[in-house]
Amino acid sequence: MQDAITALINSSDVQGRYLDNAGLERLRSYFQSGEMRAKSAIAISANASSLVTQAVAKSLMYTDITAPGGNMYTCRRYAACIRDLDYFLRYATYAMLAGDPSILDERILNGLRETYNSLGVPIGATIRSVQAMKDVASDLIGTDAGKELGVYFDYICAGLS
Amino acid sequence: MSLVTELILNADSEARYPAPKEIRIFQDFLKTGEQRIRIAQTLAENEQRIVQNGSARFWERCPVTPSNSGNPRKTASCQRDQGWYIRLVAYSVLAGSEKPLAEIGTLGIKEMYNSLEIPLRNLVEAMRCIKDEAVSLFSAEDATEVAPYFDYIIRALS
Repeated sequence: MQDAITALINSSDVQGRYLDNAGLERLRSYFQSGEMRAKSAIAISANASSLVTQAVAKSLMYTDITAPGGNMYTCRRYAACIRDLDYFLRYATYAMLAGDPSILDERILNGLRETYNSLGVPIGATIRSVQAMKDVASDLIGTDAGKELGVYFDYICAGLS
Repeated sequence: MSLVTELILNADSEARYPAPKEIRIFQDFLKTGEQRIRIAQTLAENEQRIVQNGSARFWERCPVTPSNSGNPRKTASCQRDQGWYIRLVAYSVLAGSEKPLAEIGTLGIKEMYNSLEIPLRNLVEAMRCIKDEAVSLFSAEDATEVAPYFDYIIRALS
């Protein structure tokens, strides 16, 4: 994986250059947003399971997916679903701390769509639940931080669709 | 790899959120961002000067060496490499970690220079001179952020 800092280092190094002014400016704004990223991570880690519960209630719970014949019917499937949402939340938090989405590709998205398709997990419902998680997380951490975190939830959705 | 990536990968290897201590380290690191940018800029702006003055100092201490053999091509490539190491130190200062320096410039360093028939002992001396020149540009506080990375190169060579 890379982060906001190493992404700039890597692209400078292949050219044998120091970071240019635009790069340093981007780094500066990343450094300045550190408090916001740290506070969000603290709040999310303290409320992770409740965020998943709320996201499920908002997007999946009262739909056909939890009824007999649905892909979240049976406790085993329900458990697998909330486990995955838990992963998405944790990795989105990592990506927000890093200021870079590469960890999402490496640890979550590579091969996920194929896996879900072969398991019969509906992509549309997955995306709705990720969007719901974006909303409930944003309620918790505030609009500005929610916007930044939302970038990574949207990245997951884009990678799934 | 930076301090931030290192911390995230650590947490991920245990499938957990970053612990309070790790978040504290993250916050402290980002708070020193301005200092890191300032140091990296100073290194970038003074690279040539550091290399030139460092070489002069080095040749005084160690006159019989490839870069001082009268072959301008050798001198140029030695000094180019020294400039590169200053750049890698600047990367590491920004990343708050020796990893960029190690991944790009010190893993395999002995093998490479041995195969190029550059005497490692001379190279160590050259790096010490570069370090002294570089450190002299900074305040005591900034110098303590820069010096360990040069020491890291020197250790990798010895």
